[in-house]
Amino acid sequence: MIDVLIGFYIATLITELFTTRLYRLLGWYALNSLFLGLIAIYMGTQISDSAMIISGSITIVIKFMLIPYVLKYIATKFNIPRNINPNLKVHYSTIIVPVILVFTYYLVNPIIHNMAYNANYVALSISSLFLAMLLIIEHKNIAPKIVGFLSIENALFLLAISATKGMPMLVELGIFVDLLMLIVIVNILFKHQGDF
Amino acid sequence: MSISIIIFIPSLLLVALSFFKINRTLMAAVSSLIIVPAIYIFMHPFVNEYFLVDKLNSFVLLISSIVGVGVSLSMISLPDRLNLNEEAIKRFYRFFGIFWFGLIISILANNMGIFWIGLEFATLSTVYMIKVKDSLTAHKEAWKYLTVGAIAISLVLFGIILMYASAKDVLGEDAMNFYALAKNASKINSFLFEIGFTISVTGFFIKMGFFPMNLWLADIERASIYPVAALFSGILESAIMLGFFRLSKIEMLVNTSHLVTFSYIYAIFTLFMVSFLIYRAKDFVTTFALSGIEHMVLITIFWVSGGYFAALLHLAAHAFLKPALFLSSSMLEQNRRYRFKGALKGYKNKLIPLLISLLLLGIISIPPSPMFFSEIFGFKAMLDVAQDSDYFLVMIFAIFIIMLLLSIIFYKFITIYQEALYDGDDEPKKVYKSEIAMLLLFTISLLALILPQVFDYIEGIIK
Repeated sequence: MIDVLIGFYIATLITELFTTRLYRLLGWYALNSLFLGLIAIYMGTQISDSAMIISGSITIVIKFMLIPYVLKYIATKFNIPRNINPNLKVHYSTIIVPVILVFTYYLVNPIIHNMAYNANYVALSISSLFLAMLLIIEHKNIAPKIVGFLSIENALFLLAISATKGMPMLVELGIFVDLLMLIVIVNILFKHQGDF
Repeated sequence: MSISIIIFIPSLLLVALSFFKINRTLMAAVSSLIIVPAIYIFMHPFVNEYFLVDKLNSFVLLISSIVGVGVSLSMISLPDRLNLNEEAIKRFYRFFGIFWFGLIISILANNMGIFWIGLEFATLSTVYMIKVKDSLTAHKEAWKYLTVGAIAISLVLFGIILMYASAKDVLGEDAMNFYALAKNASKINSFLFEIGFTISVTGFFIKMGFFPMNLWLADIERASIYPVAALFSGILESAIMLGFFRLSKIEMLVNTSHLVTFSYIYAIFTLFMVSFLIYRAKDFVTTFALSGIEHMVLITIFWVSGGYFAALLHLAAHAFLKPALFLSSSMLEQNRRYRFKGALKGYKNKLIPLLISLLLLGIISIPPSPMFFSEIFGFKAMLDVAQDSDYFLVMIFAIFIIMLLLSIIFYKFITIYQEALYDGDDEPKKVYKSEIAMLLLFTISLLALILPQVFDYIEGIIK
């Protein structure tokens, strides 16, 4: 089950890289977060960790429901361009994405040998970190860059739950608060000058 | 009321007051209240579930709060100089309150995760402070800061997760605590910890403008208003450096030679870039911003070489000198922005060029600057490391290269000083009372640093 969920998580992230419309990108980000939340809830259930189940549920509420909605609202309010063509051509991305996925595995091989559990998920979370960074790099517009940061945060959350079986609850709540602060800042920045 | 709540009151008060019609002097007074809890904590260290106050972080908090007071003083008159409207001043104080809130959390945290949350909070609040003055350049730099800052801070979190993973099996949730990790350094998975440490420290270094991101911070400080640059160099960089101190103390117990090699190589690359960028700099703010990177490099290598006294003295001296210079730039650049010539001429009050000259020469460690003493002790620590090392000649060569690069910076600053004092026209320049007060505050703080009692105190912070 967990393999299927992580498969969907990576698939939605890869789709984000090829998306050329802003609202669709937000939709894929929302789905990506939904699968992440489900992974946390499933892992939490398996190891009977209520903190991880709560974190997964909060992930679904904040990242699947709230953040995409707020970002869509901001995009509509400030007339942010919806056409978000990546700077990187599709055929290059098609080559780079599998290269990242395969080579990250070899890159982090020494790390995953030192992991007591979920070693493969750690490799996948690190590749998703690189994919999210690629999303930031390949776009000139600021809106997909913001989705890129949020995807980095998702990758780090996956790394935290797979490598450490969950961080302390207080730290995870703090990270959620920081994310909301990021959205507030983004809103204010757009409010005063719009996209450039 | 618990002390861990009281310390946040001044910053919350500042945020609340920023929503009403403001009086600049009153806001500066309220803003200066941040020093009260800092002094209290300095005198009465405490420990609870989330915070651990020791000599190191109470010292960093105290110097940061003095910088905060200096910045608040300059904000009384700066809006007149920069034509800032009331809304812009309100925005500055609102985000300064949030910044200080995040910073206290970060500085006092004994938990790596909480440290990160505070740092992220402070980082995000500075994004908006950058564009207090509404200009297209400031707007672009604010976005740039958000982009690079978010990537840097993500790297820090990435490293923290790996460091936590390295010790969770042994320590459980205590694997997040700096002190618990240091106490149990021999039991943790050293490979995973070192990978996490390297990634986190790379994030810290990017945030401070180290190689290869040397210019991003300088551009941002140039585009924002002077107090923001002062907050970056005097407070935010000190908080980041504190994180580096905490983590590197653990890494020293895991593998000192890896730490020394990594830091020295990174330092030499950064100094190489920065020294030539300073040589080419055309304005005060960019020069000071780049010089800030140089000093962070020095603090890093003094610390990893075991020169704790030198590193902490240098950190404190830099925290006072650099904001003072950034805030003085508003006086130096009042007639022309991209010109050094004549910047120290034309003041009716002769105290101003004297104080700025002292600061300008102090930053390149001319005695009696505290930096003179910190560099003497710092280089001694570096030589001690070289003597104990198996690679004596390589280390001596590295130290020689560092001194050579520092001499380029020294030459540039002397040239700037001479041009500012002896060349150019004698154009009249205006100085506000609050600016004199700010300069006096920083000068007195710097002089206090060279008192024997202060030397003894700093020496006792890390035994």
